[in-house]
Amino acid sequence: MPSTDYQGSSSPLTNLGRSFLPLRRDQVHSMESPIGGSPSNEAELESFQRQVADRFHDLASVPSDELLSLPWVRKLIDAFLCCQEEFRVILFNNRTPVKKPPMDRLIADYNERAVKALDVCNAIRDGIEQIRQWQKLIEIVLCALGGDNNSYQRSLGEGQFRRARKALVDLAIAMLDEKDSGQALAHRNRSFGRHNNSSSHSKDHHHRSLGHFRSLSWSVSRSWSAARQLQAIGNNLAVPRGNEVLATNGLAMPVYTMGSVLLFVMWALVAAIPCQDRGLQVHFNFPRQFPWAAPIISLHERILEESKKRDRKNACGLLREIYQMEKCSRLLGELADSVQFPLNEEKEKEVKQRVNELKQVSDAMKEDLEPLEKQVREVFHRIVRNRTEGLDSL
Amino acid sequence: MGKSQNGENLGTDGVSDGGDEKNNPDELSSEPCFKFDQILKDVDQFIEKFDSGENNFTCIDQFLEMVDSEIAAYELREASAKFGLNMEEDASFFEVVKRLSTIIRRLEELPSDSGAASCVNRAGSAHHRAMLLSESEFRTLLDLNMDRNEGDPRSKTEEEFPYFSTESIAIMNQIASTMIFAGYEAECCIAYSGLRLKALDAELSKLSFENINVDDAERMSWESLEVEIGNWIHIMRHCTNNLFSSERMLCNSVFSEHPSIAQRLFCELATSLTMRLLNFPNALVLPRQYSTEKLFKFLDIYEALLDLNNMEIGNNLSAKEFVSETSMVQCRIGETAVSIFSQLENSIESDNAGRIPVAGGAVHPLTRYTMNYLKYACEYKDTLEQVFQKHNEMEELTVDKVPENYTEKDDRCLQASPFALKLMKVMDLLDANIEMKSKLYRSHSLRYIFLMNNGRYILQKIKESTDIYDMLGHSWSRKRTSELRRYHKLYQRETWSNVLQTISHEGVQVNGKVSKTILKERFKNFNALFDEILKTQSTWVVSDGQLKSELRVSISSVMIPAYRSFVGRFQSYFDNSKQAGKYIKYQPEDIEELIEQLFEGNTTSMVRR
Repeated sequence: MPSTDYQGSSSPLTNLGRSFLPLRRDQVHSMESPIGGSPSNEAELESFQRQVADRFHDLASVPSDELLSLPWVRKLIDAFLCCQEEFRVILFNNRTPVKKPPMDRLIADYNERAVKALDVCNAIRDGIEQIRQWQKLIEIVLCALGGDNNSYQRSLGEGQFRRARKALVDLAIAMLDEKDSGQALAHRNRSFGRHNNSSSHSKDHHHRSLGHFRSLSWSVSRSWSAARQLQAIGNNLAVPRGNEVLATNGLAMPVYTMGSVLLFVMWALVAAIPCQDRGLQVHFNFPRQFPWAAPIISLHERILEESKKRDRKNACGLLREIYQMEKCSRLLGELADSVQFPLNEEKEKEVKQRVNELKQVSDAMKEDLEPLEKQVREVFHRIVRNRTEGLDSL
Repeated sequence: MGKSQNGENLGTDGVSDGGDEKNNPDELSSEPCFKFDQILKDVDQFIEKFDSGENNFTCIDQFLEMVDSEIAAYELREASAKFGLNMEEDASFFEVVKRLSTIIRRLEELPSDSGAASCVNRAGSAHHRAMLLSESEFRTLLDLNMDRNEGDPRSKTEEEFPYFSTESIAIMNQIASTMIFAGYEAECCIAYSGLRLKALDAELSKLSFENINVDDAERMSWESLEVEIGNWIHIMRHCTNNLFSSERMLCNSVFSEHPSIAQRLFCELATSLTMRLLNFPNALVLPRQYSTEKLFKFLDIYEALLDLNNMEIGNNLSAKEFVSETSMVQCRIGETAVSIFSQLENSIESDNAGRIPVAGGAVHPLTRYTMNYLKYACEYKDTLEQVFQKHNEMEELTVDKVPENYTEKDDRCLQASPFALKLMKVMDLLDANIEMKSKLYRSHSLRYIFLMNNGRYILQKIKESTDIYDMLGHSWSRKRTSELRRYHKLYQRETWSNVLQTISHEGVQVNGKVSKTILKERFKNFNALFDEILKTQSTWVVSDGQLKSELRVSISSVMIPAYRSFVGRFQSYFDNSKQAGKYIKYQPEDIEELIEQLFEGNTTSMVRR
């Protein structure tokens, strides 16, 4: 059975057949002769596979409460950027063979996938912006209920509760609304704008036009669909055949690997962050012979499982902080609704506890949202840069 | 609830014992004007004397009752028309709310057992009601005006803001200040940002702006892209010339008392909008075969981005994002422009047109194309200078090696800008290409004509554009001119020296006597050569009028006197006029006339005689 234990293999030549040709056992026999790549080339390619595998092992080995958290997502993107950079170096070091067929076609395929990922990046940024808007509402709640830093030990009055509840209701609506397509939301916003006459409508109007105009179709076209885009990225992503590997001196492998990594990372981002037409049904088929396949497949399964859980089925994004935000705010909202004035000590304690929980989520988000957005932008720019560079050297 | 002009009649200074003259609660509604002022006074005093330990909350309660009824009154009014009916009334309302905010802050400083609890609570509720009312009205005003404007006949030049009346803005300003003072800055800003973003989006839609996915853009044909580019540039100009500045003004007007908030909000709005707009040029820089004439569209885009980047939108975080993203796209567009321009070099080098020389030695299409291209390009000279300068910096090049055919004396060359150097390179390549093409002509004469035609054309085009002329330098032109003169001389020699030899006075005589045989031979040769030249070179083309006449003049000035003198000297040696007529085909005047036919590009059948 072709082993996957070439991480640290000592004799590159004897392992040659295995490291570059993760074929079925019967196929290995017919390809026992060395490929004929230069030793440095093999080492490079092998090292690449190993690095990718290591990174995804890292990502996969987190406990479930860390999976899909903001720090984890940031790590994921970091991993992607590193893989991409190494891939770039490989292409650069093998400039000449890269221009020849069939490598040129394989690269062109990869480039097309990468370009599709650009739109995903834009959509994700819109989603991050949405989360930011929710964050602002949470801050109102915290300010009203003494969860912010400049609260005294004052007792909570009705007015503050009302303020917090209003913000919580707005938040709930905002998070619910994102499940509609951005288009529907936009239309609804516009139509509500016209019907505002009497003050009885004003409350509705107030809620609907709740500044969610930076909708999920701010950066992408109205008909854009994350689900379709992911499918397009994964389209025809096939393991290179033996003859392709030979003809490209083994370079077909990193191309396939990078394509797979791209697909998975984009998929995970779409799973985590709200975006337009967020569908997770993409066909993943990574042969286990690749060292990175196991961790990625495991992550895929775990994330899918998460998406099917009862309380996460209709989530607009699987980001852990979104879950926490939704849960905390819902609990706090329920508590706030049930409260009678004046508050007894017990209730007040309960409220403060929930507020603290909410504050923790909010703080975590505050720290990571901005850097996340920067990272997504970085992905965008790196892909563009690699494309424009590619033309010069190819 | 109105206020009289001079409502004070009691305790004017406000410094009395405890400061509260308690009126009969039943009389709260009577003499509302006096009561109102009194209550306010009491409240102010309360706020001032707050720390004195003993606090009587009764005046607060009275105040709160008053506040409650005021709020109720405003709540009843129709949305979008709650404020603006009575300026003083509104002003007093906002004052009251501000006081309420202050009271609450004070009361919250008290320890929780001070008996202020119910007071705080009531105040807090009233406060929130007031805020709800304010926010709702704020939203309505911001939103309603947007819709109302569609088809609004009011002339826009009257208003500072086309969509909002000065009244609305004043009211929004009041509301914003009040809300911010009350600690509701977040609600206020969320409302403002959301609704302004919606308005800006609508504005863009009106200009037919639609998001184009990068994926889709990559697949669009150039024809479609060109249309989108035009539209995009139009929108960008609208943004930099109108939209952003009016938006900033609006922010400043609504948040006039809070410039940092105004700044932040504007910055965020501008950045949001810009991010959206930058998507399109980012898509354009993805690799594609852009032919050379696409350069100018890219330069237009570059200039639009430059204008955008030059807008000072602020210093905060989103401004940094704005600048960095815009700069990045600008840089990429610049690089694309550089690569498109550089294609010119490739197309020149690879142009060998199947090794078939241009008929008649005329100006080659490549010469025309290149020179016209350069002329058009130099209309964007400043932008191109910038683009190439940036490109050079990025490639960390030092000053390029100066092309060899420049003398050290030309200082300008050594300090030539990257773009100028590029220009010189293009010219060099063109020269080399023309040189190569000239060798395709088997006839040396035609070769020189070709070189002159093209050289002349180039020189003319350079002179027509001061930009190019300056960049290439004066000595470059001089060198060219002297080269043209050289070709001219070479042409003369090549074509006409043989002819001249036939009409040379030397060698006609044999043993001191004029040989008729030789004479006949001479004339025969002359005629043959001249006819041949005439036949051939009348079909050649010299399109530049001045060059053409120069050539003819220099030929004539040599040929005609020589021929005249030869004929004059030797025609008498013929036996009779009939014999003379047989050999002397042309009279000197004929020669003159015929030379005028040269280089007309006529077909052979058109040659007279």
